[in-house]
Amino acid sequence: MINTAFYIFFALLSVIPLVAWLLHRRSRWLWLPAMLLVVGLVAGAAAAGHGVWGSNQPVPSFSWNFPFPFALSIDRLSAFFLFLICAISIPIAIFSLSYVNGHYQGPRRAWIWTLLPLFILSMSVVVTASTALAFLFGWELMTLLSAGLILVEGTSEERLHNVFIYLLMMHASAAAVAAAFFLFWPHSPGLEFASIRSSAPALGPAIRTVVFLLAFVGFGTKAGIIPFHLWLPRAHPIAPSPVSALMSGVMLKTAIYGLVRFAFDFLGGGPPWSGYLVLAAGAVSGLLGVLYAIAEHDLKRLLAYHSVENIGIIYLGLGSSLLFLANGAPQWASLALIAALLHTLNHALFKSLLFLGAGAISHSTHTLDLEEHGGLLKRMPVTGTAFLIGCCSIVGLPLFNGFISEWLTFRSFLGGSLLANATAQVVLPLMIGVLALIGGLAAACFAKVYGVAFLGRPRSAEAEHAEETPLAMRTGLVLLALPCVVLGVLPSLALSPLARLAQVLVPGSSVPEEISSISRVIPWVAATLLGTIVVTFAIRRAQRFTATWACGLPPLTSRMQYTSTAFSKPIRSVFAAVYRPDRKVEVLPADQPYFPASISYRSERTTSYEKFLYRPAVDAIVAAAHQLRRLQTGNIQIYLLYIFLTLVSLLVYLRFLR
Amino acid sequence: MTMAIDVFQALLLILAAPLVRGIVARIKAGIQGRRGASIWRPYADVLKMFRKEDLAPPSASAVFRFAPRLLFAVAVAVAAFVPVLQPSALLGSLGDFIVMVYLMALGRFFLALGGMDGGSAFGGMGASREALVSTLAEAPFLLSMAALSISAHSPRIADIVGWTLGQDFFDISAVHILAFASMGMVALAESGRMPVDNPTTHLELTMIHEAMVLEYSGPSLALIEWASAIKLNVMLALLIALFGPWGMATHLAPVALGSAFGVYLLKMLLLMTALAVIESSVAKLRMYLVPDFLGVATATSVLAIIFTVLSRR
Repeated sequence: MINTAFYIFFALLSVIPLVAWLLHRRSRWLWLPAMLLVVGLVAGAAAAGHGVWGSNQPVPSFSWNFPFPFALSIDRLSAFFLFLICAISIPIAIFSLSYVNGHYQGPRRAWIWTLLPLFILSMSVVVTASTALAFLFGWELMTLLSAGLILVEGTSEERLHNVFIYLLMMHASAAAVAAAFFLFWPHSPGLEFASIRSSAPALGPAIRTVVFLLAFVGFGTKAGIIPFHLWLPRAHPIAPSPVSALMSGVMLKTAIYGLVRFAFDFLGGGPPWSGYLVLAAGAVSGLLGVLYAIAEHDLKRLLAYHSVENIGIIYLGLGSSLLFLANGAPQWASLALIAALLHTLNHALFKSLLFLGAGAISHSTHTLDLEEHGGLLKRMPVTGTAFLIGCCSIVGLPLFNGFISEWLTFRSFLGGSLLANATAQVVLPLMIGVLALIGGLAAACFAKVYGVAFLGRPRSAEAEHAEETPLAMRTGLVLLALPCVVLGVLPSLALSPLARLAQVLVPGSSVPEEISSISRVIPWVAATLLGTIVVTFAIRRAQRFTATWACGLPPLTSRMQYTSTAFSKPIRSVFAAVYRPDRKVEVLPADQPYFPASISYRSERTTSYEKFLYRPAVDAIVAAAHQLRRLQTGNIQIYLLYIFLTLVSLLVYLRFLR
Repeated sequence: MTMAIDVFQALLLILAAPLVRGIVARIKAGIQGRRGASIWRPYADVLKMFRKEDLAPPSASAVFRFAPRLLFAVAVAVAAFVPVLQPSALLGSLGDFIVMVYLMALGRFFLALGGMDGGSAFGGMGASREALVSTLAEAPFLLSMAALSISAHSPRIADIVGWTLGQDFFDISAVHILAFASMGMVALAESGRMPVDNPTTHLELTMIHEAMVLEYSGPSLALIEWASAIKLNVMLALLIALFGPWGMATHLAPVALGSAFGVYLLKMLLLMTALAVIESSVAKLRMYLVPDFLGVATATSVLAIIFTVLSRR
């Protein structure tokens, strides 16, 4: 039964490209690929649902041994991530129905409907793989297909450069992940997950450390933690909006899956310091991610930086879980792990929602520059309301889903004070301050985004004439916004399956009592707020719309509103050390500074990662390559000498050193 | 019976809030050598505004009218978190301090949106400045309460108060002193008082909260004013409950409750006098010195956390 659903999922998604190419000239059948995609995804979600709510027995499905051992099976961890991929992709597919068909014509449209289902399929392979090679196969496909989807949008010089950086970093990441897997080879020749798991205790401590570090770097690059985030703000914003939603909302989660699979399932907790490493990565990514986001006014770039921030929050949960595990506190470890996994789900929901919302805005206003929006809520009420729910969720405000996972993370930090280890006892509670600062900055950022884009006066003619998006796009947005509120008010819906999953990953833990505690208090808070709001709305007085007094001058114009740049100015000044802005003011004509005809102002953030980290690394590699070139003299006798020396040294090795 | 007292506590914090404002203003007037308005004046103001019509700028959307109502609802919910007469509260016995702090953030977020919905320069200016202050105030707020909850072994506010009641006043640790200093600074910033914000100014260069709500009028403004009065009252009551709960009723007897009420009024009067003295003697900080002020609060709360570990017995 489960397998049937899983096979239907695979069959439908692989047949869509064919359908798309056959029908791409017939405008009457344009809905068919999207429909097939939705049906296939529902089947996939149903197959995953069994593992999420049902038994923990892994359900094997595809399996063959030629040309390499390839097998897929769904255990509880896979099921959670497969469910996440399928469930989040459904609204995205519905949204794409009108977005893709409205924005692309002819072969381009067919290309999107070819690559999109295969991209989703490749992510499903990653999370259900039960051999290393199947995992790497899916991992590689995922990168290539998403790069293809970015290139459908265009092939300008700049785009190609960004895609090149994306591919380069993804392959570095894939290499690290592959190396982490292959270190298990001596103990488990088939590299099946089951044998990897059982051979992990046989590894030496040094090898275990190397495996953990490789997994950390490999999956960290995919997840976009700082300083490996370089590709993320380049690749995510330039993809078509539904693809951005998939990349940010869903694809990043496969990296979280990989890290959890390695650190918890295979290794059963990393080295003792691994928790600190992951915590530090989370704190740095969270803080810098949100600080970079505030400075942006391109909506999709801003959202991409928020992905860095939220991955940071997930890492904070994972890090504290590893720390608890290393200090022998499985109960708290499972709480922190639940927090991280729940935030993974929540981020998938609200980030897809926000990226689709960005797509809806650009559909209606033809721009992603916040300074050109304004007053959109009155013109696009459904999109505006859904986007507001997304903003509240990502900020982590109570009654929305983001709050529940941040609350659980806070509680796990508080639990750190109970550990015997003095360092952990101080570090974990101090992380409360870091997470609070991240939350505060995110609130400032989304007050800016929503206030500038959706409220106030329209700032451009496009914004003034914006119209509500088509039904399919609105449906996609609403389908993502609803679970944000439902999970925010009734968190136990998500928490009880996650608690069972955490029990599998953290042996010796039971369901933390914090889960029932938050599920008890939130409905009361919701009832109090709702009741009071209803009462206050009952006080009705005459209402009138009237122009604001403009100090006797002609009426206010949209130019007098605070802009996105102005809004973020105080925070940018306080954290100027992070941005190192490069400012240029040009006054024309230059000889009349007090009576200028025009003033132009440019402020650019110097990208210190490229300058101080990547450039030296690239330079070092190039310099090393130059040194290696000395070996290549072009003289045949020298090459014969190399062969001879190699042969001799191998013989010596075989005879004496083994 | 406990329930009834919890309800009474919440109502006290909500209904007496304008009075607290009035008394603080009266003490300030006394310090400045003026006679000052009646202490009941804030009630008259709120009532007057409730009777006026509700004006909104033409650009305003539904968020403009929703924000003040949500802000007020949040203030009501937060009032239900703070114990006053006995170490329990309606929501304070269920939820922990994190829920309370984040509820305040919910109200602030929507008020900032309401300010930007006005479509004038002032709303955005106020929202932007408020965003800075509240961003930086959140970390010390949570950290100092975390320090207390670590000492009390429970994150619920009612439990922390109950634990503190069981301690000897002369035996309190450095943690409490540090956390009190940090919370005091946060309370000034959160409730928009001097030296962070001046509630009586309408000068473009300095105003924060007042700039944000400049476009509001009538019942909406009344709700905002009332909500910020509740917030001030709640912050003062929270300081009392967390750092000086001695005198609260530990059992349900009329005498104990009566004396708890009397002691609470005395402590409140003391705090209000302290607030008035601070507001009369300190100049408002420049906008860009506020981060330094809150930086000190953060550093103090970090020390408080470190001291919880050092002083663990």
